[in-house]
Amino acid sequence: MKKVKEFFRYENAGLLFILPAFLYMLVFVGYPILSNLILSFQDVSVKNLVHGQKHFVGLTNYIQIFKDEVFVKAMGNTLKFTVYCLIFQFLIGFLLALLFNKKFTFAKTVRGLTMIPWMMPMTVTALMFKFMFSTDVGIINYILKCLHLIQNNVEWLTTPRTAMIAVVAANVWIGIPFNTILLATGLTTIPQELYESASVDGANGWQQLIKITLPLLRPTIESVLVLGFIYTFKVYDLVYVMTEGGPVNSTHLLSTYSYKLSFDLFQYSKGSTVANVLFLILFLVGLLYLKITMQGEEE
Amino acid sequence: MKKKLLATVLSAVMVISMMAGCGAAADTAGSGVQGAARETETKTETATAKEADPIPASDDASGDVTIWYYWETAGHQEALDHIIQEFNNQQSNIKVQAKYVPFADFKKQLSIGASAGELPDIVILDNPDHASYAAMGIFADITDRFDVSSYYPGPVNSCTLDGKLYGVPFGSNDLVLFYNEDMLKDAGCDVPTTWDELLDVAKKTTKGNVYGFAHCALQNEEGTFNFLPWVWSTGQTSYEINSEGGIKALEFEKSLVESGAFPKEAINWTQGDTMNQFISGNLAMMINGTWQIPTMRQEVPDLKWNVAPIPQDKQQASGLGGENYAVIAGGNEEAAIKFLQYATSGDTCLYMMDHMGYISSDSKIAETQFKGDAVYQVFVDEMKYANARGPLPEWPDISDAISLAFNKVITGESAPDAAAAEAQATIDGILGN
Repeated sequence: MKKVKEFFRYENAGLLFILPAFLYMLVFVGYPILSNLILSFQDVSVKNLVHGQKHFVGLTNYIQIFKDEVFVKAMGNTLKFTVYCLIFQFLIGFLLALLFNKKFTFAKTVRGLTMIPWMMPMTVTALMFKFMFSTDVGIINYILKCLHLIQNNVEWLTTPRTAMIAVVAANVWIGIPFNTILLATGLTTIPQELYESASVDGANGWQQLIKITLPLLRPTIESVLVLGFIYTFKVYDLVYVMTEGGPVNSTHLLSTYSYKLSFDLFQYSKGSTVANVLFLILFLVGLLYLKITMQGEEE
Repeated sequence: MKKKLLATVLSAVMVISMMAGCGAAADTAGSGVQGAARETETKTETATAKEADPIPASDDASGDVTIWYYWETAGHQEALDHIIQEFNNQQSNIKVQAKYVPFADFKKQLSIGASAGELPDIVILDNPDHASYAAMGIFADITDRFDVSSYYPGPVNSCTLDGKLYGVPFGSNDLVLFYNEDMLKDAGCDVPTTWDELLDVAKKTTKGNVYGFAHCALQNEEGTFNFLPWVWSTGQTSYEINSEGGIKALEFEKSLVESGAFPKEAINWTQGDTMNQFISGNLAMMINGTWQIPTMRQEVPDLKWNVAPIPQDKQQASGLGGENYAVIAGGNEEAAIKFLQYATSGDTCLYMMDHMGYISSDSKIAETQFKGDAVYQVFVDEMKYANARGPLPEWPDISDAISLAFNKVITGESAPDAAAAEAQATIDGILGN
């Protein structure tokens, strides 16, 4: 009995607490990743998914994938998509955070309302934007026409270049609240006295922003950007509903292309290979995030 | 002391709730206890099947039969439910139930089910996909267990792989030209029969918010289905895109788009979307299928529309669509076949076909269908010119190459000859030429 008591002291009790989460991760995260990895080193297609020999083919799938035009395009698209989304959602999110940091009537209410895009199911948002960007009946073309910015309707979702703009716009709209909330929370941790003494010393608003706000907000900004990268890089449903990767593969991301390979074209191993490339990139970014947060904690 | 005890209890509770969570997740995935039980059943059955193949047909078929299907139209679902109800009430040994799986998820669910061994007993699937799944080995070989001698050869072909029958044609449909009678009359046009006439009429009927002509041009199987009649009409096959006819078909598509009569947005329209545009009065003409007729008659009884064969180049051509029944290998095969025999028998089949706007694949039944219905008669006549896609296990890849080609042409990304050459390279790679 005493030994049992000893066992549950301090660290060991802690281990017990993480055990459920650990088991969960092992079964629902670890196993799929491992199984997917194995799949990518085999030649599983429609002919041997159920019956027949699954051959080990080494890195063949990875080599073939990097020679695949659509994959290379999807890779580029994913990077472009992520970078554009991050820039816009961060900038707009930051401006909103600064705005909501001011104390004005309804500040809290309005801040709460801006969370709506974040809470809405992705499919709903995607369908909404699909209608808004529609060529003949979409509200975006209607507004642009009323403002005399365009003469003829823009074929947003049926022209490769503009389709990318449309999906980025939709994703930025979803991402803004996430950035706003985290940055606004970060802003509240900056002591008000710093601004007061700075203004006594004659620093203007811009100088205060550059010299006080940004440096003190750095850890938050880093987290927001890295988390934003992870969320954006693996976006799937939004693009699938809005364009299904089209027109002519111009909005295919790694996620949508992996799905297409596996479940439309029955090339299971290739699909898992693309998924693994996606995973590897996110894994590295995840490590970076861990490093940043750990540094933050040490400081 | 108390605190530690509490901590232990709490963590134990967490573990248990976690387990419960897993169970619940499995349930929603559509398997649950029943699924697990069936899986073991399936395994033992396959084991015995291997020893004593073929399974002798027995009269005491019993148990549960699950069907997966993807029809989203309410009328289709009701018709299926109706015949299942009737079957279940007639006898007490076999209990059939149907499960709706959305079309977008259907192939995914089948693939996942195949690798996990969690499949229903019958699936009703799109016929171009049949060969892929037959090649996968999840469908039972029913060559001597089901008689299809009175069926049309095209649909039977789509269920056949390497000379073996892996399914039963459910029903067929094909594509024709739908036109808005008033719009054509206002523009002073006759119903087009050739490509040139179609282009001309499409231009003349385009005004304001109305486009002259469209067909679903999605970059997937649905789009390919609607595009291929152009190619076939030139006398070329689905595997000959980089040919005089293939390029001509792409050129024609290009001239339609460039004339402004064909909305580019059709690359994002399903066949259902296209029909909605037509009945809302935004389209003067469209290509669409048999199955839209019941909906159109119900939704817009006052709209004056009619159908005609698809305008042709060298020869008349249409696309053969439709679904097949397939019995899952190692499932409750005997009971499943029993149900199929019931569902494809005269009156039951006729009930399904009429309610769904399909043409029976059984020529004996089809000949008695739609007597005196001029609209359906056009579809029945067009069946003679309807081409099947595939059957080929790699058809999805071929279809993908073709749909990419016409999408590139419609969006102006590639010239027709370049798009055709690219598609041909992919097709040749798949066929091993």
